[in-house]
Amino acid sequence: MSSGPSRPAEMIVGILTPPACREEVLGDLHERYRSPLQYGFDALGAVPLVILSRIRRTADPQVLVMQAFALYLSFLTAARFHDGSLLQAQWGLLRLALPAGIALLGLVLEDAYALPGRRSPLRLVRGPIVGICLALLSQGMLRSHNPEIPLQGWILFYGCAMSLLLSSAIRLLFPPIAHGLQGANAPAFWLKRAGSGIGETAQTCIQAIIIAAIVAGAMMAALNSGISPVTVRVAVIAVVFGLVAYQLGKRT
Amino acid sequence: MATSDSLGQFEQLVLTAILTLRDDAYGVTIHSKVEELARPKAASLGAVYVTLDRLEDKGFVTSWLSDPTAERGGRAKRCYRLEALGERVLQESALTARRIWESIAEVWGKDWAREWGKRWGKETG
Repeated sequence: MSSGPSRPAEMIVGILTPPACREEVLGDLHERYRSPLQYGFDALGAVPLVILSRIRRTADPQVLVMQAFALYLSFLTAARFHDGSLLQAQWGLLRLALPAGIALLGLVLEDAYALPGRRSPLRLVRGPIVGICLALLSQGMLRSHNPEIPLQGWILFYGCAMSLLLSSAIRLLFPPIAHGLQGANAPAFWLKRAGSGIGETAQTCIQAIIIAAIVAGAMMAALNSGISPVTVRVAVIAVVFGLVAYQLGKRT
Repeated sequence: MATSDSLGQFEQLVLTAILTLRDDAYGVTIHSKVEELARPKAASLGAVYVTLDRLEDKGFVTSWLSDPTAERGGRAKRCYRLEALGERVLQESALTARRIWESIAEVWGKDWAREWGKRWGKETG
């Protein structure tokens, strides 16, 4: 009888677990092994929480807000210059948010799954590249199911190119947290960038909620009153720019 | 309002587990101890990992990787140790728990306190 989990099961759990905590998680699951079913339940209960915890440790909420803004702005600008009609169409703004959101998810996951301690000049662009690849893949999958939802080819192309530039620039200004000192003996408390405490995280969340409320309010106002949509858009962009500039100023 | 120095109940359990386990505090043993302390509630291994990460970020514990062992499939353990800050917040939490106990005993009477004291005595052996 085998005294440990099967090699394929351990390999799958190993692939899903972020490299920074793979060693101890696989070891603990191996030590607790009683049966394949128990191993599966243990892995299902532990791995998602380990991923979330790793994301919490590697993601900086303030930088994420900036990245989200940059990604959405890229697709918005591409749509505006290529085919302005998409912005007037129903769900047009939401369709633009889809690739931006998936690219942001790719960025977050790339940071969480980055190998700790490995310094590479490619690290700064690898996140945006992974994000954009995921966005393109999701658009391709959507196109095969419902061709009306994904963005047109040129909007997607220009949006991705601009996203890559803006996102990489933000990562140059604010490098990923895991890019710094890493090591088993170094307390994670020191590895965190100074000034990104719990209080600031809450503050950033409040600001993100305020931005979302302003955007939603402006959209509702535009729909229900005679205010020109162009005026609303300019006002919304000005407010969001102001908040992002404030965050940038505070951090630099 | 909670500050970064305050502890949640699960954090108290994890810190207590690390304190009692001393040099043998790593994922599996901490989880077993937490389940023992949290009886009859169950605790998942994932929740223990998340809490350990959070406690490390707060500077209450430090961790290091030990040497790999055969019983773990040749993988290392991540061992944890309580830091001075962690000890201080745990002491504060214990004092708060004691004050809660005394206040409740004051209202519900000495008989209640004696009965629960006996039950706890039985549980802890």
